[in-house]
Amino acid sequence: MSLSRSPSPRPGGGWSSPGLNSPYANVSGRSSPAKSYRESNGGSSVTWESAKAKSDGINGYPSFSTQNNGFFNRHYRTISNSLPHFNLGSDKSYAEKEKLGRGRWMGREGSRMARVRSLVRRVSRNMKLRYLVVIALLAMYFLFYLTPLHYYWRRAKHLGGGKKFVVILAANQGGGVMEWKGPREWAIERDSVRNKKKYTNRWGYDLEIVDMSTKKRYAHEWRESWEKVDTIRNCLRKYPDAEWFWWLDLNTFVMEPSYSLQSHIFNNLAATTYRDINEYNPLNITHPFPAAHLDEEARSPIGDGKASSINLIIPQDCSGFNLGSFFIKRSAWTDRLLDVWWDPVGYEQKHMEWEHKEQDALEFLYINQPWIRPHTAFIQQRKINSFPEGACSENGNDTRIHYNEKERDFVVNMAGCEWGRDCWGEMYNFRELSNYLNRTLWEKFKEDLVAVIWFKITGQKIRI
Amino acid sequence: MHLAFPLRKSSNPPPYANRSARFPVLRRSRVQAIILCACAVGAVIFIISQLFGGGDGVPSGSPPVVIVTVLDPENYNKEYINNIKDNRIEYARKHGYVTFFPTAKDYVLDGAPDTWAKIPAIRHALTKFPYSTYVWYLDQNSLIMNPEMTIEGDIMNPKKLESLMIRDQSVVPPDSVIKTFPYIKGANIDFALTQDKEGLVQGSFIIRKGDWSKFFLDTWFDPLYRSYNFQKADTHALEHIVQWHPTILSKLALVPQRTMNSYYKGDTETGTYKDGDFVIRFPGCDQAGRSCQGEAEPFSKQWKTAFRER
Repeated sequence: MSLSRSPSPRPGGGWSSPGLNSPYANVSGRSSPAKSYRESNGGSSVTWESAKAKSDGINGYPSFSTQNNGFFNRHYRTISNSLPHFNLGSDKSYAEKEKLGRGRWMGREGSRMARVRSLVRRVSRNMKLRYLVVIALLAMYFLFYLTPLHYYWRRAKHLGGGKKFVVILAANQGGGVMEWKGPREWAIERDSVRNKKKYTNRWGYDLEIVDMSTKKRYAHEWRESWEKVDTIRNCLRKYPDAEWFWWLDLNTFVMEPSYSLQSHIFNNLAATTYRDINEYNPLNITHPFPAAHLDEEARSPIGDGKASSINLIIPQDCSGFNLGSFFIKRSAWTDRLLDVWWDPVGYEQKHMEWEHKEQDALEFLYINQPWIRPHTAFIQQRKINSFPEGACSENGNDTRIHYNEKERDFVVNMAGCEWGRDCWGEMYNFRELSNYLNRTLWEKFKEDLVAVIWFKITGQKIRI
Repeated sequence: MHLAFPLRKSSNPPPYANRSARFPVLRRSRVQAIILCACAVGAVIFIISQLFGGGDGVPSGSPPVVIVTVLDPENYNKEYINNIKDNRIEYARKHGYVTFFPTAKDYVLDGAPDTWAKIPAIRHALTKFPYSTYVWYLDQNSLIMNPEMTIEGDIMNPKKLESLMIRDQSVVPPDSVIKTFPYIKGANIDFALTQDKEGLVQGSFIIRKGDWSKFFLDTWFDPLYRSYNFQKADTHALEHIVQWHPTILSKLALVPQRTMNSYYKGDTETGTYKDGDFVIRFPGCDQAGRSCQGEAEPFSKQWKTAFRER
């Protein structure tokens, strides 16, 4: 240190000045980014002169950035937004004359991207936000409905909840040994299965098609064709995530595939079902259970009244319970019911009488065993099990029972069509009706407008 | 490149920091106060709910066990019936239990034998004492001999029950193919009973209250079983449902006979009453040539002294 006093507060330090050969030669008095600059330009061997010369003259520009200096630079964006815009695409000379650019008017180059970019820049912030929202909505729509995403969404447990529902379709009833299937039977089966497949795929439910053909499967040959219980039990095991199981006979048709089970029934279970059988009681069952020694819940007409205690949902037709379409929920109660539903002692005494098998047995249990009632709910038949005109027709058309096209009933069950009615004909008619009722806007436009006009003009009926 | 110098700090900083919002609603001090208040309110609510709620809704002092005995005052004299009653009542008083003595005529049996009456009687007891955990059905012709034994401690306590229960045992001796489950937890048991040489015994058994008990009793009481000609009415009905329905078998525990069902004249060595046993029963004493009253007489004195000395 040859100086008499150090000009800097740093002990032993000093201004780095020309000719001083200190180890801190590249350290100026202040620690500043200058260091990194110098290093990048040759490291410690850079001398003051060379650095000065370099920064001063060589490129002719001031050594530090002029960004953010001056009125124009600071307000360029806001001013230019409100100015009329000239297309400067290829007119470089304009920019040169004005001396504004210095090569920074890159955005105005003629490329397509640049044009888009400048367009975007000129749109005001608010409008940008609005456009963005619209684009995002469109993108989401496409992503959701044109990809399988909506299927997984509807299926997922905590989103759509489709995994919680399993549709059990009893196919091939009585087939095999008892009767031979003809082409009509095959057609019925094909249509029915396709209908359910479409429905379950749409909402992310599971579909279990059960072969109900008569086979010698049990050591007790009695039990043949009492397979509902075993089937439901197998499904309970096969779909461990599922909560509700919907049993459907083969001769059913989902007329309104746009109804989800959740919105149609389960989101508001307490309102869509009724617990007190006295509301509609074709069997004239004494309800509540006529015994004084039972607990309050068993003697109450509605059990505990909570939707969470419902484990079985059955519709009633003109002659009692109908098990062509019913729901059963996974629970300890259900395990018990499935366990005692079929019992050899009951079977031995009643099998001649119980021609509807499980259905009669269930009615019997409901009438005689009080523990069944607080967990059973009934649902209006037309919610899940509308009948065609031919079924239950002794008393004419009943608004509680028969399908109503105007009110868009959910499911049709052609119950008993195998006894003297035309199953395939009914199935076909309902399929066509369902297609007709659920036409898309485009189809309606074609059929209701274009085809009609064409008919008026040319007198020919066409099918587009 | 030289970067601009950072702005100089003022030598005279303002004494207060600038407000960020115009009206700061949640100052730090206030936030603390609010959280403390919320905690305090929560604590008070918790304490109140603990004081008045009573946890699982069981009122304190409700008896843990109901002893049910269906009496037959028509065929037995008053003295005998009263002796039976006193025996149950004193035992119940000792442990804070309650007793329930209906008669067969209280229930509609649709022409089935009177032995069926115990099923609605137990259901009735479950209704009358909804907060009792266990129902112990004890047949009329039997006496409690050891007042020290308790139902919830010496039999139904899950640990104790696991050591007592007989696993992998044919339900109907000697060789029924349906056997009790080999691996089953004491806590899952809802129904404890005993077996003698003939089969399941229904003179003394314990049921835990719950949905299962209702299901079980209602199933057992099904009119089709009542009208079916089982050789021994309700006994065979029970054996039938236990063997056919696994939801019942999986809740059942067989305990050694002398746990609660010692016989006065046992047909097997293991079942015969010895001093210190919990219960003595006189099965078949109502048959011709035997007298229930006579057989019970010596034991009546014995239970009274046993109850008094402790």
